Amino acid sequence: MLTAAIAVETQSQYDDRVERAPVRIPLSQLARGQRATVECSALDALPESERCLLSAMGMGERCEVRVCKPGTPCIIQIDQTRLGLPDEIAQRILVTPVLPEQP
Amino acid sequence: MSKRVALLGNPNTGKSSLFNRLCGLRSKTANFPGSTVEHQVGTCAISSGAEVTIIDLPGIYSLRLELPESAVCADCLDGRIGDGRPDAALVVVDANNLPRNLQFAASALRRGLPTVIAVNMIDLAQRRGLHIDAAQASRVLGVPVVPVSARTGSGMDELKAALAATLASRARPAPEIELPNGEPGSAASARWSASVLDAIVAGSLQRASHTQLHDRLDWAFTHPRLGILLFAGVMAMLFAAIFWLAQYPMEWVDLLFASLGGVAQRAIPTGILQDLIVNGVIGGVAATVVFLPQILLLFFLLALLEDSGYLARAAFAIDRIMRRFGLPGQAFMPLLSAHACALPAVMATRLIPSRRDRIATIMAIPFMSCSARVPVYALLTTLLFVGRPWAAGAAFISCYALGAVAGIATAALVGRSVLRGSPTPMLLELPAYRLPSIAQAARVSLDRGLLFLRNAGSVILAIAVVMWWLSAHPVVQPPESATELRAQASQLKLQDPATADALDLRAARIEQQAQQSGSFAGTAGRALEPIFAPIGLDRQLTVAVLTSFLAREVFTTTVFVLTGAGSDAESGDGTTLDVVRSAKRDDGTLLFSTATSASLLVFFVLALQCLPTVAVVARETGSWKWAIGQLAFMSIAAYALALATFRVLA
Repeated sequence: MLTAAIAVETQSQYDDRVERAPVRIPLSQLARGQRATVECSALDALPESERCLLSAMGMGERCEVRVCKPGTPCIIQIDQTRLGLPDEIAQRILVTPVLPEQP
Repeated sequence: MSKRVALLGNPNTGKSSLFNRLCGLRSKTANFPGSTVEHQVGTCAISSGAEVTIIDLPGIYSLRLELPESAVCADCLDGRIGDGRPDAALVVVDANNLPRNLQFAASALRRGLPTVIAVNMIDLAQRRGLHIDAAQASRVLGVPVVPVSARTGSGMDELKAALAATLASRARPAPEIELPNGEPGSAASARWSASVLDAIVAGSLQRASHTQLHDRLDWAFTHPRLGILLFAGVMAMLFAAIFWLAQYPMEWVDLLFASLGGVAQRAIPTGILQDLIVNGVIGGVAATVVFLPQILLLFFLLALLEDSGYLARAAFAIDRIMRRFGLPGQAFMPLLSAHACALPAVMATRLIPSRRDRIATIMAIPFMSCSARVPVYALLTTLLFVGRPWAAGAAFISCYALGAVAGIATAALVGRSVLRGSPTPMLLELPAYRLPSIAQAARVSLDRGLLFLRNAGSVILAIAVVMWWLSAHPVVQPPESATELRAQASQLKLQDPATADALDLRAARIEQQAQQSGSFAGTAGRALEPIFAPIGLDRQLTVAVLTSFLAREVFTTTVFVLTGAGSDAESGDGTTLDVVRSAKRDDGTLLFSTATSASLLVFFVLALQCLPTVAVVARETGSWKWAIGQLAFMSIAAYALALATFRVLA
């Protein structure tokens, strides 16, 4: 059934699905003003002390971040809190960009 | 004994403002035994006649992080340190950041202490469209929840009443209240926080209108080049303020101690007790306390910068430079403070979470040119460049530069050898920009000043008395020349009082010189002269360098006394300096040759001649090994470079 479903998918439907699929990229690659969600597993690449600190600072399960300033430091906003992260940490946090809302 | 309330919360929740609102100036900085983590303790009247002790614990993100601050908070709540478990906990949460703050509150509630939750900055949250149902929050959380604004003072009476009621009833968090099992940041904790928010909050925070402006300010303040330029500008203004504004109150302090010495001299009969009080106690303490205005001003301005939100950004700007030398960005504040005095600077390293980074910073701090070196730099650069003030000024600035370069190079060396590893990446919450509170800055400054005075009254006073005793004993009989001058002066007293006074003064100088030479300190000077001779010092300068271990600025006083130029090193008039400049050694050569002056200058920039700093380093690192190692390293480095300077110029 699955094979059949894929077989009938049009090229435009496929492109749309790929475009909307959650692609995880390093936090350091987001542009200024861009938003993204962070999964808990996104912090797995960090040492435990930094992972625990980031979680306690608000980078918890499925939180949304906004990039205030990319680069070093990477400044992000979570709720009303701004955090400054060195580039080496921002590179190791994988996030899912939030697509702009469709009109 | 009054009941004790532990005040805790996340950083930047206005916890310190709330503490100040509750306790006013009735507070002091303290440490738990065996810990270098500071906390404030104050008293607060919560109802008529009832006072409680508030323990303001450091701001933390979780009670279970592997950080000294988290461990101290957890140990305090569990009664492992201090005087047993506190009677209650007062948890501060930021109304504008409830999702994260509520998770922390839950972890505090799990400790099982009678608890009150203060929802701070409620005025700001209400203006931004958020309404919190405090009664519903109390029902959901099972403890009193009080909306307050520490800034305006609203809700403080209700908070005190809630505290009084909680302490009276000893009511613990209701057992039927469900709390998350996970720590702040865990999925369970986040879900719990979201469900509580649904129940107690109406509306949602409107996005702040100045977000774009704050983004731009963050960009500028943390920019690799612009950020450094702005930082340099801010620091230049800070230094200018410290050195120019503080000079007037410093003169007043100097005058105050001079008159205090005069009063003591008149009140106490001439003898050993007068000498001890005037020269040992008052003179010794004055040499350190004179720098109090600089310290107060430095911490006041730093507190204003910190409260404005700028310093956290500046730490990131400077971090990329400091990390190349094995130092973290947080090191810049202690290194900056060290230009006033190394003692509070070493204590300020407590802000640096990593022990490796803290020790690397402590190793660099004593190289920074503190205020006590200033009179020595002023004397030696003036002697080096007679009639060339610009050259003297350039040499003066070079001393600061040499100290800074030596400090950073030492940190890099220690970081790559003994300590190993690289500085911990800086991960900081950037506080919101706001107008700094002058009252809060004044309180921080006063607190630091009192801490400094406590040191001056204990460690420094003890050292002053020991050094006085070594230079005043054994008592040396006045030389014949002095006795003759005294006799001539007494004959001329009625006919020519001015000449008699001058003769008395000369006699006093000869007696002082004889006493210095014959005292234990003088004997040590002669014994150690062979060690200091290769860098150009004779017996007199060896004594001056030895006495400068009391406090560096004592060097100038000793030089002026030993050369007979008078004991007032601050006078600086041409005649007095001429006497020092033309002073001779026992072999008839100039005491201050160019080579000797330059060698001494290098020695004073690099040497750790401050025993209180050694004691504080031992306390802060928790080991005499670091303190003694630092003393040895700096002494060897100072001697080697002074020797090289002397050899090149001699």
